[in-house]
Amino acid sequence: MAQTTTAGAQLKRGHRQREKRETRTGWMFLAPFLVLFTVCFLIPIFVSIYQSFFQQKASGGGLYGGGGVQENVFVAFDNYKYVVTSVEFWTGMGRILLFGIIQVPVMIIAALALALLIDSITVRHPGPWRLSYFLPYAVPGVVAAVLWTYIYHPQMSPINKILESVGASGISFFDPKIIILSMANMTTWTFTGYNMLIFLAALQAIPKDLYEAARIDGATNWQVIRKIKIPLVADAALLAILLSIIGTVQLFNEPTVMRAANPWMSADYMPMLMAYNTLMGNLSPSGNGPASAVSIVMALIAGVLAVFYFLIQRKVVK
Amino acid sequence: MTKRMVRASGLLAATAAAAMMLTACGNDAASSGAASAPASGSDTNGKTVELEYIHRLPDGEGMTKVNDIVAKWNAAHPDIQVKATKWDGAAQELQTKLETDVKAGNAPCLAQVGYGEVPSLFVKGLFEDVTPYASKYASHYSDATMTMMTVGGTVVGLPQDTGPLVYYYNKAAFDELGLKVPTTIDELVSEAKTAAASGKHILAFTPDETTYWVSALAAASGASWYGTEGDSWTVNTQDANSTKVAEALQTTLDDKSALVVNRWDDAFGAALLDGSLIGHIGAAWEAPLLSDTMKNSDNVGKWAVAQLPTIGDKAMSGPDGGSGVAVMKGCPNPEQAMEFADWFNTQVPDLVSQGLVTAATTEPMTTPEAVSKFYGGQDVFAELATANEKMNPNFPYIPGFSAISDAMVQAGTAAGNGSGKVVDILKAAQDASVKALKDLGLAVK
Repeated sequence: MAQTTTAGAQLKRGHRQREKRETRTGWMFLAPFLVLFTVCFLIPIFVSIYQSFFQQKASGGGLYGGGGVQENVFVAFDNYKYVVTSVEFWTGMGRILLFGIIQVPVMIIAALALALLIDSITVRHPGPWRLSYFLPYAVPGVVAAVLWTYIYHPQMSPINKILESVGASGISFFDPKIIILSMANMTTWTFTGYNMLIFLAALQAIPKDLYEAARIDGATNWQVIRKIKIPLVADAALLAILLSIIGTVQLFNEPTVMRAANPWMSADYMPMLMAYNTLMGNLSPSGNGPASAVSIVMALIAGVLAVFYFLIQRKVVK
Repeated sequence: MTKRMVRASGLLAATAAAAMMLTACGNDAASSGAASAPASGSDTNGKTVELEYIHRLPDGEGMTKVNDIVAKWNAAHPDIQVKATKWDGAAQELQTKLETDVKAGNAPCLAQVGYGEVPSLFVKGLFEDVTPYASKYASHYSDATMTMMTVGGTVVGLPQDTGPLVYYYNKAAFDELGLKVPTTIDELVSEAKTAAASGKHILAFTPDETTYWVSALAAASGASWYGTEGDSWTVNTQDANSTKVAEALQTTLDDKSALVVNRWDDAFGAALLDGSLIGHIGAAWEAPLLSDTMKNSDNVGKWAVAQLPTIGDKAMSGPDGGSGVAVMKGCPNPEQAMEFADWFNTQVPDLVSQGLVTAATTEPMTTPEAVSKFYGGQDVFAELATANEKMNPNFPYIPGFSAISDAMVQAGTAAGNGSGKVVDILKAAQDASVKALKDLGLAVK
């Protein structure tokens, strides 16, 4: 009896040791991720939250603040107060919303349509198509910027040349009223392929016997799409749309590129530009503190929008 | 100025540069590792002093490369070895890098900084006080440019290049239309009207360059935007002289005699090439840019450079760009750093080859052949040197000057398209300047 207990205990200890070893191995596998995640993600976020409560003020007195005696002054919520009461910030946010309301649905619907096309059995060699839709995403930002500035430039635009040659009038892509659409077009070009891949992965995970069963029941192709495919990629759509909402709030490349050609666009034309230019001293107040506050308010807004969309979608699906 | 030259190579290049900026985070991380070797060494026990110098000169085709200039110094000075690094990002990102490096204690000893940025960086405590070493070099440079490297009596480095405004014009076209080269702002306005009747423009209004162009014109009129009263700043961008500039420009916009075009848009070059733009108030450093834009065209040999038309009581020019070499905080060998900076900034022929109009007055600049050929054999750089000497010596910038640019460019764009007035630019400058100073925690009267 006593012996069995000992044996049981030994067995248990062996178990525990193996468990411990396995746990350790698990953590070792996780370590590279954790280190990078902490260094590249968690620390910057906490530093930025910390900084957003400070402002750098010259403290040496005199005309030049003592020439270098700068203090990190704790200003509590002053930076946040500045952001949420800034007309420019909300005007920029308004432009973002306008941009998002137009661009996100167009892109998501286009991505879904392309994914359905590639997934349909009639396409014999989906590889090249898939690659060509995805390619814009792989074009380096610099190249894309040069490309689009050329396409949109009032004097050089090949689109306008074609339009004019058939007697139509050209489009002034840089017009203050149109430029948001021009930027939306750039974003759509870049990211439709990316979102298509998300949908395609979801479509190809659908078991093929569902289609077979549907066909036996006499379902048409359209019915298969409508009743099986689209409902089953709803989760993928949620992911794609959430990523798009966050990406839209953080829109930076497109306005930066457009601004190089259109100096009338202000340094705070869109919130991310505002954060960058605040950090760079092109806007006043400038510095780490106010710039961090701008980015954190942006993150909060993106978060609220994402949760809002998530709740709506859940309700609609139910 | 280097930034301007990069932009000058065309709209597409400008866009590319902007886009490059997008990836700059990555570049920054990579390059800061290489550039972070602290300037070390000591002269006390005969060891070699090592200095690092970060610049953003163009180093283009056919120019005497910075590394070759520095190699000459290194060969002659075995005890003070300099390593030059070229900064390829945007000028402003260099400032951010310097700020971070100074905080981390590994900034390069010497760095190129724009005149408009010097007070801002001074307030951030990025410079060494090199006043004791500066006096023996001060006579090598024009007074106005030495002022630009001095903040509240503290010298922070030595000036390198300068951008006084001058007047560029197509002499052949002027002769053909019977136009007089304007010597006063009133003549500029009336001749512009005459030229416009024949469909030609003798000046351009460039919204994208509003900040430095309008402030330089104000300086040339004799205005002094920023002054001091005790320990407080005074901001006066709307004085009588500046207003006179604004009203003259307004007249040329109202009667459509000024061509409204962004300076760094390809349309500017196109207007020069098709002969509709035959005059331009521009900075001295634009001389090689204009000749480059119009090379191989029938404009070669026809253009000329004149002094800026007189605006105020006295014939003066104003500062449009330019930069100096500053000694950064924490440099262990500021004396040697200044010695090198002075030597480098007085290598006049080499710097002229880089497209600079030098701040150094130690020897006359020789006009490069291509430039001289374009301007009908004129000794262009002598004319530019005269403008440098005539620059308003009393036009200091304020800390935070870079933050007023956006507001001025917006107002400039509005003035250009008729939805605003030129005087609104001055108002925008006033409000933005006061705000920038207050936000920095400095007193404003």
